Amino acid sequence: MLDIRNLHARIAEGREILKGIDLSVAAGEVHAIMGPNGSGKSTLAGVLAGRPGYEVSAGSVFYQGRDLLALAPDERARAGIFLAFQYPVEIPGVNNMYFLRAALNAVRRARGEAELDAGQFLKSVRAKLKLLEIEDDLLQRGVNVGFSGGEKKRNEIFQMAMLEPKLALLDETDSGLDIDALRLVAGGINKLRAPDRAIVLITHYQRLLDYVTPDRIHVLSEGRIVLSGDKSLAAELEKHGYAMLGDAA
Amino acid sequence: MAMPCLETLPEGKMVAHPETSPYLDAFRARAVAAEPSWLAGRREAALGRFAALGFPTRREEAWRFSDLRPLAQHAFPPASAAGMAAPDALAPWRLAGPTHRVVIVDGRFAPDLSEIGTLPPGAWLGSTARALAERPALVEAALCESDDAGAQPFAALNAAFFADGFVLALDPGVVLEHPVEVIHLGRAATPRSFHVRSAVLLEAASRASVVETFAGAGAYWTNAVASIRLGAGATLRHVRVQEEDRQAIHIALVRAALAQGAAYEAFALTIGAGLGRHDILVRFDGPDGVCRLDGAFLLRGQQESTTATFVDHAAPGCTTRELFKGVVDDRAHGVFLGRIAVQQDAQRSDAQQLNRNLLLGRRAVIDTKPELEIFADDVKCSHGATVGDLDEESLFYLRARGIAEAEARRILIEAFAAETLERVDGTVRERLAAHIARWLAGAAA
Repeated sequence: MLDIRNLHARIAEGREILKGIDLSVAAGEVHAIMGPNGSGKSTLAGVLAGRPGYEVSAGSVFYQGRDLLALAPDERARAGIFLAFQYPVEIPGVNNMYFLRAALNAVRRARGEAELDAGQFLKSVRAKLKLLEIEDDLLQRGVNVGFSGGEKKRNEIFQMAMLEPKLALLDETDSGLDIDALRLVAGGINKLRAPDRAIVLITHYQRLLDYVTPDRIHVLSEGRIVLSGDKSLAAELEKHGYAMLGDAA
Repeated sequence: MAMPCLETLPEGKMVAHPETSPYLDAFRARAVAAEPSWLAGRREAALGRFAALGFPTRREEAWRFSDLRPLAQHAFPPASAAGMAAPDALAPWRLAGPTHRVVIVDGRFAPDLSEIGTLPPGAWLGSTARALAERPALVEAALCESDDAGAQPFAALNAAFFADGFVLALDPGVVLEHPVEVIHLGRAATPRSFHVRSAVLLEAASRASVVETFAGAGAYWTNAVASIRLGAGATLRHVRVQEEDRQAIHIALVRAALAQGAAYEAFALTIGAGLGRHDILVRFDGPDGVCRLDGAFLLRGQQESTTATFVDHAAPGCTTRELFKGVVDDRAHGVFLGRIAVQQDAQRSDAQQLNRNLLLGRRAVIDTKPELEIFADDVKCSHGATVGDLDEESLFYLRARGIAEAEARRILIEAFAAETLERVDGTVRERLAAHIARWLAGAAA
């Protein structure tokens, strides 16, 4: 599904942040990328989703056999990539429902599926709102406007559930959540686990991994993956902290 | 320094303002209509003021950003006869639902296209020409008032030439349930000017909603002046849509005077005209009045448009809320001049003004100049102006959900402009949103 080879990236005209990432994620797998602040986790998510402001200086990224880096951000999304934002953007004046329907129909058109009419759309929305315990009235507001931190994160997972991506990149979706919200978000993620879908969880803490069990865990430090392992790695990190990276790196 | 007076100038007096001579010639050559004698004298005097003032120049602060060459380079002789328009020309501009409709073609009332309908007792709505014939006393003051608004040469020219317009007058306590819809259509195969003069006179505690649209085809010049007088506790909602032909010139002056507790709630959408200027002057004559001035200007190509507002807090306890947004693309030039004055006696004034602009084209230009002049000490006033591009993070968020860049930009621009519509009601708001959406789709180009 996703093949990253020797990826180097930097902030436009700035310092290099990713210094040779190699990572393969197969369909059906859940990978967790952990690491201390400033290790390059969010940069990796941003580069994969096509966030402006980064330059790839070397390496390649293939997604379902396509050169991902050659695609515009919206083309990547229509090809099935979803980035759950660490800091979801507030967009006053753009109604949530209107936005979501425009997004869903864009993605559906790209998949060769018919656009949903208002009734079908609403039905689908209702079912998924319930899953994440999001109040209906939030959807009548501007995108993320007046949402609490937890509501913003739940809204990201709700959007993911609506758009049904093939590759979901979740950038610190667990940060700032209380335990109830964390359970809801984790439940939403687990519900989306599927044989034809890959999920990459980017997180600073292992807390989320108590609820979503990853197939692989990678530890990122100073722009490189310095450790990879199965889910037991999380427990080890929990015990020793990122200080143990000193030895591994 | 004494004002130059036409009569005392030596021969060759027109040399100072050669751009005025086609209008002075047209005035002498025009067929004189049967009208009250006081009006003839005012027309003469107004023409004299126009001749003495000449066209505004960039040396005047209020016109510093305006390039009036398109207006000065051609003569636009005043249209001398009523125009014709097919009923389907109204279709894009009609409001949904019942209205009292006044249609003005080439600056003159078009009875066949108008449908004033049934008015409640104490309400008068009709053409300015009819008001002059039937109710001269009603309009005499309103037609005079705006001529002494300082150096306003185009208002003076309008006062000299105006043929028609509309007048709405409500007796105390009269409430118009349906909006008054005024559609101005201009047509010109060769350059012509339409001088429209209108008045809205609402007596105490009366209420009305007026939706005016300016549209047309050709290289004409609309020169519109409207006087609005609101009695104690009266409320006027005034929506103005300017979607003139892109070859046309639109110059308009709206003056509103508010008595105690009156409310003037105005919205102005500017989309059309190659050269446009819209002055809105509001004065609180009595305490506790409310003024809401909102609007949006959407410009592309080589359009140039100025919105100039001046709200004069001449009485205490009044509130002003003003939000204008500009979207300027290509090589267009948008200007916002917003002035709020709080006079010495106007304690407890509360005024907020904001002008926000999106600069989309690399060669597009915005000039914005918010000004507060405060002479009272117990006031709450704020103003601000911003000029920027679309928010990159918002754009990325929409694109990261699969929405193509052009569509994402359209959504964000629409949301930016639509914020100004928040205080407009129901069907009118939908109509305005549709105008904005059409502009974004490029259909207005």
